[in-house]
Amino acid sequence: MNALAHSSAASSGRPPDLARGEVVFHVRNLSKTYGTGEAAVHALAGVDLDFRQGELVVLLGPSGSGKSTLLNLLGGLDTPSAGTLLYRGWDLGAADEAGLTQYRREDVGFVFQAYNLIPSLTARENVGLIGELASDPLPAEEALRLVGLGARLDHFPAQLSGGEQQRVAIARAIAKRPRVLLCDEPTGALDVRTGIVVLEAIESINRELGTLAAIITHNAVMAAMADRVFSLSDGRVVNVQTNAQRAPVSTLAW
Amino acid sequence: MSLLDRKLLRDLRALKSQALAVALVMACGLTMMVMTRSLIVSLESARMRYYEEYRFADVFARMKRAPDDVARRIAEIPGVAAVQPSVGRMVTIDLAGLPEPVMAWFGTVPERGEPLLNRLHLRRGRLLEPEARGEILVSEAFAEVHGLGPGDELAAILNGRKVPLRIAGIVLSPEFVFEAPPGAALPDNRTFAVVWMNYQELAEAFNMEGAFNQVSVALEPGASERSVIAELDRLLVPYGGLRSYGRAHHASDVRVDDEIRVLLGLSVGFPIVFLAVGAFMTHAVMSRQITLQREQIAMLKACGFGRREIGLHYLKFAIVIVTVGTVLGVIGGVLLGHRLVDLYHRFFRFPDLHFELATGVLFAAAAASALAAVIGVWGAVRRAMRLPPAEAMRPEPPAQFEPSFIERIGIGRWIGVSLRMALRNLQRKPVQALLTATALSLATAILIIPNAFRDGVSYVLDFQWDIVQRQSATVSLVEPGPSRALADFRTLPGVVSAEPFRATPVELVSGPIARRLNLIGLRGEGGLSRVLDGELRQIVLPPRGIVLSSKLGEVLGVRIGDEVLVRSLEGKRVERLVPVAAFSEDFAGVSAFMELTALNRLLLEGDLVSGAYIAVDRGRWGDFLAAVKETPRATSVVVKEAMRESFRKTTAESIGVLQMIYLLFATLVAFGIVYNSARISLSERARELATLRVLGFTRGEVGAVLVGELTILAVLAVPVGLWLGGWLARGLLTIVNTETVRLPLVLTLANYSFAASVITVATVVSLLVAARRIREIDLVSALKVRD
Repeated sequence: MNALAHSSAASSGRPPDLARGEVVFHVRNLSKTYGTGEAAVHALAGVDLDFRQGELVVLLGPSGSGKSTLLNLLGGLDTPSAGTLLYRGWDLGAADEAGLTQYRREDVGFVFQAYNLIPSLTARENVGLIGELASDPLPAEEALRLVGLGARLDHFPAQLSGGEQQRVAIARAIAKRPRVLLCDEPTGALDVRTGIVVLEAIESINRELGTLAAIITHNAVMAAMADRVFSLSDGRVVNVQTNAQRAPVSTLAW
Repeated sequence: MSLLDRKLLRDLRALKSQALAVALVMACGLTMMVMTRSLIVSLESARMRYYEEYRFADVFARMKRAPDDVARRIAEIPGVAAVQPSVGRMVTIDLAGLPEPVMAWFGTVPERGEPLLNRLHLRRGRLLEPEARGEILVSEAFAEVHGLGPGDELAAILNGRKVPLRIAGIVLSPEFVFEAPPGAALPDNRTFAVVWMNYQELAEAFNMEGAFNQVSVALEPGASERSVIAELDRLLVPYGGLRSYGRAHHASDVRVDDEIRVLLGLSVGFPIVFLAVGAFMTHAVMSRQITLQREQIAMLKACGFGRREIGLHYLKFAIVIVTVGTVLGVIGGVLLGHRLVDLYHRFFRFPDLHFELATGVLFAAAAASALAAVIGVWGAVRRAMRLPPAEAMRPEPPAQFEPSFIERIGIGRWIGVSLRMALRNLQRKPVQALLTATALSLATAILIIPNAFRDGVSYVLDFQWDIVQRQSATVSLVEPGPSRALADFRTLPGVVSAEPFRATPVELVSGPIARRLNLIGLRGEGGLSRVLDGELRQIVLPPRGIVLSSKLGEVLGVRIGDEVLVRSLEGKRVERLVPVAAFSEDFAGVSAFMELTALNRLLLEGDLVSGAYIAVDRGRWGDFLAAVKETPRATSVVVKEAMRESFRKTTAESIGVLQMIYLLFATLVAFGIVYNSARISLSERARELATLRVLGFTRGEVGAVLVGELTILAVLAVPVGLWLGGWLARGLLTIVNTETVRLPLVLTLANYSFAASVITVATVVSLLVAARRIREIDLVSALKVRD
């Protein structure tokens, strides 16, 4: 991972990174409502949170608790219905389409439960796609090596196992050297062993690069690897737990 | 190449059969566009070169007889650059081995040197030697049909005397680019010839020495055709001049113009239909593609690809399809264009008619197909651009199903599970069902068009040759003569009955509009050549009034009871207002009829006839033809069966080739549409069908869902398509119908059945192909990921 840290430090043309512990996302009274009238669904109902530079956060909660909605708002995939959502002091909630696109292009790396790879492109090409967007991307080969897939560069998604596909997705997310890594149930479709490999990849990126990483899961075991754990239920944060010590991913078991 | 472009290429490879189907449909439309536009350019430039190089005249006139001196006076008319007088006569030719007599238009060339105007293009042999006698030049089309060449001999009846003639050369003339008998709408190269001989010989034969009976005039640049014509008419009146006319009324030139107009119509009409279908198919394919790639689009957006980049990416699908379609269309247009130019040689004789690619049309073709594709793809691409990333990231919500209408009305229990699923699918996605049904309707509709053309032609021929003309032959007199001349014809062997007719050149005038034609006088209730109305009922010619073909009525803008001015162009040149008594049905040219006695009364010429329609006993047909060839009074004999035969061999065959091309295209397109629809529904249902297979349904049962859906749609769409096809055919006929040739809209059961059968076969074949794919569905992967 040293190579990654080195490459990141060499990146230029961006505002200087925040110091570890400074607030990246400032979330106040954040709400998201889908639909109107009686059919309205309050996916998020007044969330107050801060996300800090360099920390690894786990968002816990059952289905429908609002985790994915929160992640989508943080990632600029969706806009809030009410409340404040600041990213490094910039009001994401008021950003327009072009602003959000630019934000996603430069700052955010996504990892999805369903991998969302382009089936017609190889692993190398799926990661390389990012190279066409970002100003200073990691070479696709390097990003894939970082997730342990250096030997499967030219395989199509259909030729890869679920864990490998998810690692390609992680490689794709980190190739742009994102400031924020948002992972939506990254191990949801994987067995334990493969899940551990994927989580190790995320954890090492967070550790080496100081990237803010947020992982959605409904698997409470994963709480141990986080700096902080936010528990959501019915669109609200019901508990915030701070771990004095992060457990190594290899020790997790479920 | 950017990675998105690489994705594009790979996606296209996966979609290749569908993309190719769309490209082929567009290519069919563009082929016709390139072909017809290029033919127009080829015809126009060949005509321009020909007219210029061979000094085709600007104004033409005929008269009874004018002394040579008149030609000098014509040359003095202001604006006249050159004058070419000559003698022209209709003559009967006896060709050894041909039972029917041949009608030939004999013209003359100057005794020495080339004509000033309307020069001949020598194809084979040599031109006539000065002062040579018994030598002729023969038109190429006629010579080709009979395999005649230089040195061959034939006999002509020149003013009642049979004269042996030898062919010196085979030629073309700018006056006869379209080589048809005067007044005929269709060429007949078997029994009509154009022949040239030295002036002196023909003039002597017809007692025209030192005189001429036709004249061609070239105008000086900028000269007024109208004033030259007026002056010419004034000058020629004492010599029995018929009114002179410009190129715009020259029979051969008009036919070239007509052809160009028809091509122009086809170059717009067919491509519009095909490109519209192409646009529609592009829409169907792209909508499907974008639905399938919902998650991919969302991921691209999540990664930071902007709306424009994504829009452009999907637009490129259309661009690739258009490019392939355009390239194929241009290649097809060029290849078919060459083929059709060869075909045009049968109708239009130019020294040098070769295929010329209309380069301007290439741009238009690319633009038209691009426009069609962009229209087709726009909605789908916009949907992709607007897809909110977060929403797209979630799998599509499960579809809302409910019992179908048929189940709700209580007959559901008699329907199998597969059909029930098919019905519910259709009802759940009515818009999609409507789109597929529309595609099937369009496929059916475009199949109707080419056969409607074929049936129209065949109807016109039957109408002309079986319903209107019931005579076996038409015999014309050298000059209109007293009706007792008819008695001569009645005594010919085999003649069952003979009916007189009078044909006289007139100008019909209504307000500012005038048309020149031969006004035909017939017996009130003719039994051989009849005048029919729109419902094919015979019109009994009234003792007063004129019957116009409905097209002529339309052109002149008159209604029944209105009066038209009949201006006789020969003889006493009377002018009379005559009321319109009725409109007749007619598909070629424009025509007008009067009762024979009424016409003669109007012309103030006594009881004259121009010839007779004759019915001949089939058993004595040979005797009749042999005798009529020897009849000095008969100047021309038109044998109906010969004409029909000749038509069948030339025109019908050519129309057949065109019709086959269109039909082939329409069939291709129909298959493309149906196949595409089947593929799209298969790909939409892949997961569902795979699930069914996993649950234990057999391939047959799974296939039945697909078959059920397409069958239901086809059953609904085909009747609509048949109806729509009728309208499309009507629209296209309106575009291509001209004053010279019109096709009626004839929709036959055979046409409908053919269209329905093609769609049925296409559906079955497409389903078989789809069924093969059902077998190939990888059950596990189809359930895991969407592709």
